[in-house]
Amino acid sequence: MTESARLSISSLDKAFAAPVLKGVKLEIAGGEVHAIVGENGAGKSTLVNILAGNLRKDGGEIRLDGSIYEPQGPRDSYAAGIACAAQELSSIETLSVAENISLRALPRKGLAIDRKALNARAIKLVRRVGLQNIDPASPAETLSLADRQLLEFAKAISIDCRLLILDEPTAALTAPQADHLHSIVADLAAAGTSIIYISHRLDDVLSVADKVSVLRDGELVLTASTQQTTIPDLVEAMSGRSQSTSAERRDSVGDARVVLNATDLTTDDLPYATSLVLRSGEIVGLAGLAGAGRSELLSALFGLVPLTGGAVQRIDNGKEQAVLNAGQAVSSGIAFLGEDRQSMGLFRGQSLLINMMVPGSAGLKMLQRIDSKIERSAGAQLVEKLSIRCRDLAQDVRELSGGNQQKALLARWLHRDSDILLLDEPTRGVDVRTKNSIYDLLVSLRQKGKTIFMASSEIEELTTVCDRILVLSDRKLVRSFERSEYSEQAILAAAFSEFTASVARHSPTGSRDASPL
Amino acid sequence: MTKILQSVGRHAENNFILASLILLILFFGLLSDNFFSVITLTTILNQLPALTFVTVGMTLVLIVAGIDLSVGSVMGFCAAVVGVAAVAWGLPLWAACLLGLGTGLICGMLNGLLVAYFALPSFIVTLGMLEMARGLAYLTTGSQTMYIGSKIQSLALPLPGIGVSAALISAIVLVIAAQFVLTRTVLGRYLVAIGTNEQAARMSGIDPRPYRLMVLAVSGALAGIAGIFNAAYLGSADPNAGIGLELSAIAAAVIGGTSLMGGRGSIIGAFAGVLIIAVLQNGLAQIGVSEPTKRIITGAVIIIAVLIDRWRVKHASAS
Repeated sequence: MTESARLSISSLDKAFAAPVLKGVKLEIAGGEVHAIVGENGAGKSTLVNILAGNLRKDGGEIRLDGSIYEPQGPRDSYAAGIACAAQELSSIETLSVAENISLRALPRKGLAIDRKALNARAIKLVRRVGLQNIDPASPAETLSLADRQLLEFAKAISIDCRLLILDEPTAALTAPQADHLHSIVADLAAAGTSIIYISHRLDDVLSVADKVSVLRDGELVLTASTQQTTIPDLVEAMSGRSQSTSAERRDSVGDARVVLNATDLTTDDLPYATSLVLRSGEIVGLAGLAGAGRSELLSALFGLVPLTGGAVQRIDNGKEQAVLNAGQAVSSGIAFLGEDRQSMGLFRGQSLLINMMVPGSAGLKMLQRIDSKIERSAGAQLVEKLSIRCRDLAQDVRELSGGNQQKALLARWLHRDSDILLLDEPTRGVDVRTKNSIYDLLVSLRQKGKTIFMASSEIEELTTVCDRILVLSDRKLVRSFERSEYSEQAILAAAFSEFTASVARHSPTGSRDASPL
Repeated sequence: MTKILQSVGRHAENNFILASLILLILFFGLLSDNFFSVITLTTILNQLPALTFVTVGMTLVLIVAGIDLSVGSVMGFCAAVVGVAAVAWGLPLWAACLLGLGTGLICGMLNGLLVAYFALPSFIVTLGMLEMARGLAYLTTGSQTMYIGSKIQSLALPLPGIGVSAALISAIVLVIAAQFVLTRTVLGRYLVAIGTNEQAARMSGIDPRPYRLMVLAVSGALAGIAGIFNAAYLGSADPNAGIGLELSAIAAAVIGGTSLMGGRGSIIGAFAGVLIIAVLQNGLAQIGVSEPTKRIITGAVIIIAVLIDRWRVKHASAS
């Protein structure tokens, strides 16, 4: 450890169900801008949360200017001079811009808030970050997404800090706004503040940071000066493999009837026309970074959000039908699994059986009597088929483990006998054994002619299970990979392509085809 | 009575509510010489139908995580409409009753429309309806109790040969039918799903809006029927009828194990709650407890019932 290091991290460990950070070692000097990059789930956010005091480390040591730093909560990190602009916007919508900025230390006059001092302080900061026409007294909810991200930044630089952490600070910003932010970052660094800069925009990383570190599966695999690094170097370090070594699970693809056809689809969240077709008997993957629009695309196909353009056609035995809403999607044989099973899937507090039996099998009438005998035997079969570990069918679904809860949600759609399964992160937060059994299940469904369209942030998962992979980058469908073309590195490069496309030296990896992917 | 108790016992989630009810009955029976009498029984049974009707509606609304504060006022308004239609307009009794029912249905549909399709909180919408329907009740009757006549009273009188009134029979039929719908049909299951996790229901392809509209419309219509039976019981239309009834209905539902957070509830349990409230009211009166003390005890019983229920649920899921 060098004496001059502002932040020095050694053998940092953190595990939830599985290790998330493994022996991370990192040193950042005073006045240094240090970028951290990595795939989704590589451990970046966990590292930030530990530094910000939101999470406790399991092992290792963190020193700030030589003295041990062990925050017990966010208050400690603030006291130690660490400021953090989080990826999730944390402004309180009903409070004013000025109040949000100074929330930790509201200026007071007697018992009341000193509004004059509060607003005067805020106006300087909002002007500095480039919020030109914002009244500091207006509520934060009146700000656009980009302005709120700048507010987050203003909040972070409102205190004199030793270490400033910026987690995806430019995700919602326009190019001039981002440039302005970067110039402030350079000023702060020149004044001696150390900065951790996390971004998916690799060209930004190379131009803004002095050094860059790459996290992969919780390990720090590369730290280098940005002078001596190129984007391909970073992508290779992030993916770790130059060639895919996936375990093949492929059999012949069945007959290839088109079952779902999306043409020039747009929604509020997906501004670029997206077209794709899904066929029977195939597993299609959807890759992309966080915020690339994976969940938004799946929701649009399921009819959960209104389309602003284009159409989604369900084709069943030659009959075409537009998918207009989720109810109709389900009755036409489409299933959906949201990325967050707690809020989007489970009926917490209800039995495992009920969780598997809503929406129930097709063709049930509203006031039809449910035959509980038939239902229980169907439930028992599902439990056995998916090897769901439970006490009995009446057990509260809350008491099951995450993996078994996920299986129960899949069982729901197996019971429905849906033909098309739209799955968003179907193996998120489940253990390896359950993961494999879910993969086996998907493959067996494919053999029966079902169609699976699954989004995942784990590229390895997609190359293992899928027959082809579509890649979203910055809400554009940029490329389609056939199995023969699979390479984790190429897929990752495609996922990054729209984020780096603004730079002339880096041409887009895949030009958009005129034909649907 | 024993028949009712048996059906309560069969269907209640467990026997806790039933046991409390029996204990209450025994308690008052021991303390008062007159509790086990035909008069007491008739008094209790006559009070049941109106509260049962609104409680069933309330329970359905609570299960989808809503609330209907307007039931008492809507009941008063509907009773007023029945009175005016029968007396001032000279309509036949069946037509007046149909008009009363339709009035309740329209009030409920209005509630439902605003809650489901304009995404307003049911608390606010039905609070507004509570005020409006009461105002309309006064307007309709000119703030006077309207005497309707003996014909409508036949609905509340024991039927010859059966010994119980048409009102009570229909209330019990309603309880059984609603319990069946809630526990044995797809519709009931969807209501529970929506009340448990609306987003998950939506992502299972269930649009919650028509169901929210429906339960509030049903609740309004049942308040209308309660208005008819209230008018039948009194023989007249009282514009003050049903003041505070929404709170008794919520209390009955909650005593019967319904959660205010939605997703959990039992119609049979709520009916047992209705019985407990009725027995408590009459029993306390019988042993000479004053009106203020009666209210204090009733309030305490509601809180204790929920406390015990909470403890019971926690205990059941822990074991």
